[in-house]
Amino acid sequence: MATPTAGAALGNELRAGTVAKVGSTKRIQELNGMLHSNRPNVDITRARAYTKVYRETEGMPNLMRRYKASAEVYRSLSDNVYDYEQLVGWPTKRIRGANFAIELHAHWLAEDLPNLRDRTYDPFEITDEDYKELEEDLLPYWKDKTMAVQWGHYVTPEEWDRAQFGGVSDVSNYLCANGSHFIPAWTEVIQHGFVKYYEEAKALLAALDPNDPASIDKRIFYNGILEVLEAIRDWGERLSAACARKAAQEKDPQRKQELENMAEMMKRVPWGPATSFYDACETAWAVCFFLFVEGAGPSITWSRFDQYMYPYYKADIEKGILTPEKAMELIEELYIKVTSNVWFQSTQMAYIFGGYYRYPHLDVGGLDENGKDATNELSYLCLRAMRYVKTTSPAVSILLHQKTPDALLYEACELAAEGMGHPSFFNCESLYSMLEHRAGGLHGYSNYTRKDILKFGSPIGCVEPGAEGLQYGHTDSGIINVAGCVFAAVTNGKKATGVDGSLCGEVVTYESGAPESFESFDAFYEAVKGQVKYAIDECHANLLICEKLLAEQFNLPTFTILLEGALEKAVDATAGGAKVNIGPTMQMVGFGTLVDSVAAIKKVVFEDHAATLAEVADACMKNFEGYDALRAKLIAAPKYGNDDDFADDIAADLWKWFADCTMVLKMYRGHYCDAAIQMVQSNVGYGAMTGATPNGRLAGQPISDTMSATQQADTNGPTAAARSYGKLDFPAYTNGTLLNMWISQSELLAQT
Amino acid sequence: MEEKTARIFDIGRFRNTDGPGIRTIIFFKGCPLRCLWCSNPFGLSPKQQLVVKFAKCTGCGTCGEVCTQGVNQVPEGGKVQVDFSACTLCGSCVERCAAGARMLSGREYTARQLYEEARKDAAFYRKGGGGVTLSGGEALMQYEVAAETLRLCRSNYINTCLETSAFAPWAQLWAVAQYCHTVFVDVKHMDDARHKALTGVGNGLILENLRRLCRELPRRGGRVILRLPLVPGYTDHLENVSATARFAASLEGTPELNLLPYHDLGESKYEMIGDSYALAEVESRKGRDPRLLELQALCQETAPKNRVSLGGDAIQLD
Repeated sequence: MATPTAGAALGNELRAGTVAKVGSTKRIQELNGMLHSNRPNVDITRARAYTKVYRETEGMPNLMRRYKASAEVYRSLSDNVYDYEQLVGWPTKRIRGANFAIELHAHWLAEDLPNLRDRTYDPFEITDEDYKELEEDLLPYWKDKTMAVQWGHYVTPEEWDRAQFGGVSDVSNYLCANGSHFIPAWTEVIQHGFVKYYEEAKALLAALDPNDPASIDKRIFYNGILEVLEAIRDWGERLSAACARKAAQEKDPQRKQELENMAEMMKRVPWGPATSFYDACETAWAVCFFLFVEGAGPSITWSRFDQYMYPYYKADIEKGILTPEKAMELIEELYIKVTSNVWFQSTQMAYIFGGYYRYPHLDVGGLDENGKDATNELSYLCLRAMRYVKTTSPAVSILLHQKTPDALLYEACELAAEGMGHPSFFNCESLYSMLEHRAGGLHGYSNYTRKDILKFGSPIGCVEPGAEGLQYGHTDSGIINVAGCVFAAVTNGKKATGVDGSLCGEVVTYESGAPESFESFDAFYEAVKGQVKYAIDECHANLLICEKLLAEQFNLPTFTILLEGALEKAVDATAGGAKVNIGPTMQMVGFGTLVDSVAAIKKVVFEDHAATLAEVADACMKNFEGYDALRAKLIAAPKYGNDDDFADDIAADLWKWFADCTMVLKMYRGHYCDAAIQMVQSNVGYGAMTGATPNGRLAGQPISDTMSATQQADTNGPTAAARSYGKLDFPAYTNGTLLNMWISQSELLAQT
Repeated sequence: MEEKTARIFDIGRFRNTDGPGIRTIIFFKGCPLRCLWCSNPFGLSPKQQLVVKFAKCTGCGTCGEVCTQGVNQVPEGGKVQVDFSACTLCGSCVERCAAGARMLSGREYTARQLYEEARKDAAFYRKGGGGVTLSGGEALMQYEVAAETLRLCRSNYINTCLETSAFAPWAQLWAVAQYCHTVFVDVKHMDDARHKALTGVGNGLILENLRRLCRELPRRGGRVILRLPLVPGYTDHLENVSATARFAASLEGTPELNLLPYHDLGESKYEMIGDSYALAEVESRKGRDPRLLELQALCQETAPKNRVSLGGDAIQLD
């Protein structure tokens, strides 16, 4: 038996409620303990600020109200400074709080507030006082103004139901997660501070020509941006004062000095340029949480941290004011603080995306803008820091390429052996290829230059290819449950009975043909594709409405500020301010289930003639009751993930076809849609909504996750599975692919 | 003429034992020895066999209904009981078992097909010197296909290993061994009478083959590794271990001696083919057991010029 890994032991410790005080120094251990002694909780600061501003600004332009609200949130943020901290500022009053977006969540929260404290997935603590204020004052104001409610005005009740609980195409995630999946212009904001944008906006405002009709909206835009930036500046001053107050009361001379340093630092950054590695870390933290507070979604990404931080690190080491240990301590503190950001989701979405995890992301390695290996000392420190601090966030990743030094790869493997799910391994070759064709459409040209890709390219959140400061768009937005589509293909468009969600037993897509009507495999295969295409098109239509609403009413000033060229264009991020607009994309869920189901039908029905499609349809409808023998045959059919071309050829064809279907769809901001296959835990939720499938899977069971083979279907070992996956055209999924492989410790060769 | 085939009972990919690196191991069915501790009982009989994984059986009764020979009896609410001797290998119960608890062990492959299987993982062999290992059973019982398989692998730059008892005429052993980078030969006991008692055959032919193999194989660029399974109470007596080490020291080229800790992972497989395990009471020894380390030290002392390694996964690329 393999001994439990350190990660597993830590997980048990956390579940048992004992505090996990780990880290490379006493300071980090204490901060880690403080983090884990808090349960996820709701903070209403943001909700209160939004409500105040919206009440005061009735009748004003939407953009103005929205920008004023963002500024008001920054003005209301807490100025808590805790013991042992070196980096300053928290997005919430309490640690592990969620400063949730009431303008997106009020409609369901108004109903579900009483269950919030003890719902099954992702319960949140809330004080009685805040509860009362939400219930009596804030929620009543917002509950009929949220994005989901407004979206409902554009669709019929049937369409609304289908898109939320039909279990085939789903946009519910997109309705509650505005402002996400973003890499701000780190290099620039750290180097120059927010003051640069302030001066830029002031100059642009001054240069407006009032006789130009375009200047009307631009003036509103720049005035709003300036107000937000002023609020950020004031926040820094407020926190500096808080540090100074705490320093004055501090008895311990060493800590007193630290607090005085913090007070000084907060006068410099994030408003002004960073002058040291310490300053740069503070800017990295502050920007990260501003975005997490303003946006409601996941995946604010530190991207290539070891690259843009390295000049500061190197200079400080040379000056003798920093040691590698000290730098690692700061990195560990960043990891702890970013873990404190929990994702607040509706009860319905927590069921699919549960776990509070907000997908921050940090990369090491990769190539530099000249195509050389970019590994430096910080690459190692970032990996090592995670081995000490053992937090869930950020997703530490290594960008691998032919020139990656073995030493960095071994360091990454040592971290992987901890069993915590860190690091992610990315293949630069595939990543850069995806980024190159990102949102350019099936027949289009690249949106990026080679230099953009090499210098700024990195994954966002889970796996989506992005580029620092150049790209905006919410990515995991439209969800296509292809296992549900294959069920619909055999049952003439129906959803199963006795599964989760609404519309059970009803036609949820379209009637693609009764099972007995298919005379050849090809005819049936067309029906499967027809069902998937139907779901994609329905999802696309719904997403267009969402995009329109976002652009008109749910603007994001801080995101806009941190996008290259957006200020000059005077266009908000939600309306297309980024150089490269992407998303919302189409996520495929249940790929392995789809492929195995089609392969099983091809083998059992059309090749062996061991059953008719009508029998398979009936078996699926009846959850295989009375069909044990047929189920055995379906299970014995070739399965994806075993290096068997019978199934893998179907996989490769459906894979490419799905991507092609999405890449021709034009989106609201003028770019093309792209495909993704990366949903990590939603296969359980969608599985619960999906009837028995022709691969022998029973109703309600999880469908296959990510792009991986169906659970327990890949029986020929990891090399055979890897060869199956290798047959697919990865870069066609320009919004990213994710593969989960579990290998037991005993199967791994010892390092020699 | 129809191409010759070999009967194979398993092809394991991504294995890290029986040779360096990541390996594909091909298990040949049929063995002339009957070692009491055999961990691959499916490899003993050269014939195809019904295998029933009783742990997976749901007691649904389908196999009882489809079998014309009355092999399967399913008591109400219980698991199936199987009369393996009456099975005619028609396979109808295997097809119908919804729980996936049944299979027929043993499938025919030509050398070309085996090579194709081995070639699939070529990308994974490269880094650690991995490749293909013929195991079993005893591959030499089907030496023609075994030899052709390894010839194909070798001529396509795939590392080749053979794991054998060397209980075969020299010509058959050499036919296969000549294509090997590494040949593992088990020396189960140095005493001829004990060897016969434990394995069913004497050790004369094996030791003679070994001496000759150690002379011949290195000339073709291959190496021999002696293996001694350390079965507590059966082969791990000090005098046997040191006799084996002395023998290893006396061989030309002082080949590596690889000590194999005993494990009981094969025990559950006996039940699946209607057999029982002879050494049920013997306990497994884990990798770094102090007693194993002592024996390793003893061997190293007795055979100072030979490399002495411990564990089937300790094989390095030479």
